[in-house]
Amino acid sequence: METSVQSTTVGVRRVVISGIMVAVTVLLGMLPVGGFIPFPTGVNATTLHIPAIIGGILEGWQVGGIIGLCFGLFSFLRASTPLFKDPLVAILPRIFIGITAYLAYKGLQRFEERLAIGVAAGVGTATNTILVLGIAVWRGYLAPDLAATIAVTHGLPEIVVAVVITLAVVVAWRQIASRRGGSSV
Amino acid sequence: MSRRKRTPEWEFLRYVTLGQYLPTGSFIHRMHPAFKLLVFGLLVAAVTFSQTITVNLILLVTMVVLVRLARVPVRHALEGVRLALPALLVMAVFQVLLPPKMVTMAGSDGACLSLWAWQRFVVTDCSLRLVVVSVARLIELIVLTTLLTSSTTTTELAYGTEALLSPCRRLGLPAHQLAMVVTIALRFVPTLALQMERIVKAQTARGADFGLDGRWRFIRMIRRLLPLLVPLFLVSLRRSETLVVAMAARGYTGNARRSHRIRQRVRPADYLALGIAGAFCVLMFVLDFKA
Repeated sequence: METSVQSTTVGVRRVVISGIMVAVTVLLGMLPVGGFIPFPTGVNATTLHIPAIIGGILEGWQVGGIIGLCFGLFSFLRASTPLFKDPLVAILPRIFIGITAYLAYKGLQRFEERLAIGVAAGVGTATNTILVLGIAVWRGYLAPDLAATIAVTHGLPEIVVAVVITLAVVVAWRQIASRRGGSSV
Repeated sequence: MSRRKRTPEWEFLRYVTLGQYLPTGSFIHRMHPAFKLLVFGLLVAAVTFSQTITVNLILLVTMVVLVRLARVPVRHALEGVRLALPALLVMAVFQVLLPPKMVTMAGSDGACLSLWAWQRFVVTDCSLRLVVVSVARLIELIVLTTLLTSSTTTTELAYGTEALLSPCRRLGLPAHQLAMVVTIALRFVPTLALQMERIVKAQTARGADFGLDGRWRFIRMIRRLLPLLVPLFLVSLRRSETLVVAMAARGYTGNARRSHRIRQRVRPADYLALGIAGAFCVLMFVLDFKA
C-alpha cells in the first residue's frame, strides 16, 4: 500500500508540504515568540527561513524554492523597514535558501545523513544572510563594513539555531515516518 | 521567580492578521484579481527603481489618487506608515550622517555639495536626496501593499496567482500547484496558531518558561525556542501527511484541469487599467533615465 499510494501522491505531497511549511513561516512571523530572537544589537535574528530549509531537505529543491519564494513575498508584504520593502532584497534571495540547502544535502548524503542535514541547514542560512546583505549593499541600503558586521553577529547565531532545529526536526521526522507514535504535542 | 517578567499573550489567534480586507466595493475591489496583481507588480517595479525626487513626487500623488479610488480610509492606508515611522526616522538620520560610500561618489558630475560638516559627519546634497527618495519610496510601497490587501480577499489572491501563472504552464511551471500552496498556507495559519498555543501551554505545564527576557539574554531565548519549534514542525509535518491522504482520497491529483466554482470575468476596464499602469510605468522609467 505504501508504495502505490506514494507514487500517486508525490505531486500532492509536494504541494501540501510546501503549503504547510509556508503556513509555519507566516505563523512564526506573526507570533510574539518563535520567529525572531531579539539581539543586543537591536536587530533581531530570525528563524523564518528554517521551513524553507526543511522543505528543501525533505521534498527537494522545487519545494524549498517555493517555500522560499512565499517567505520572500510574505516578508515583502509585511515589511516596515526600507530594506525589506525592496522586492530585490526581500524576495529574490529567499528563493535560493531551500535550493542551496537541498544541493548541500544531496551532495553530502552519501557520507553521513546527519552531517548532510546539519551542513544543509548551515548552507541554507548562509545563503539567506549573504544574499540579503549582498543585495542590500548593492542597492545602497547598507555600507559594506556594516553588512559584514551584521553577517558575523547575526549570521553565525542564525546558523547555529537553524542547524540545531533542522537536525532535530528532520531526524525525528524520518524516524517517526518509520515507526509512528509519541506525544501529539 | 523573584523578578516579574513580561509574558506574551497566549491567545495566539489574536496575532494572526492576514490582510485586513475592507469591502468598499470600489472599482479597484471589483478588478479581476489577475489584472490587479499585474498592475500592482508594475507599480512596485516603478517605485523600486525610482531614483529621482520628481518621479517620487509623481508616485506619491498617484498613491493618493489610488487610495481615493479604492475608497479606503486614509487613516487605514497610512497605518503601515505610522508603524514604520520609528524605523524611518532612524534610517533617515543614519543615511544623512553616514551615507554609503557609493552615494558620496555617485553624483552626476562626480561631486556632491557639502552643506554641513562636523568631524567625520558630512551632510551633502546627495545624501539628502537619497534620504528623501528612500523615505518616499518606502511610503509608496507601504500604501501600495495596504491597498492590495485591503481590496483583495485571500481567495481572490490565490485565484489571481493561478490565472496569472497559467500561461507559464506550457513551460512546465505548475501554476495550479502554486496557487494551491498559497491556499493551503492561508488556510492553515490559524490552525497552526492554535496548535502552537497548545504546545506553549503543554511545555509550560512541564515547567518551561517563555517569558520575554531582555536583549542580552539571547542565548537563553534561543534555547527556549527549541521545545517550541521542534514540536511545531513535527506536528505540522504530521498534519500534512494526513492532508495528503485526505486530498488523494478525494481524487485530487494536482495535474488534471480543474474548474472553479466562482469564475471571475475579465472586463474592458481591466485591460484599460493594465494599459494605463503599463504606460505609467514606462513613463516613470523614462523620467528616471533622463535625470
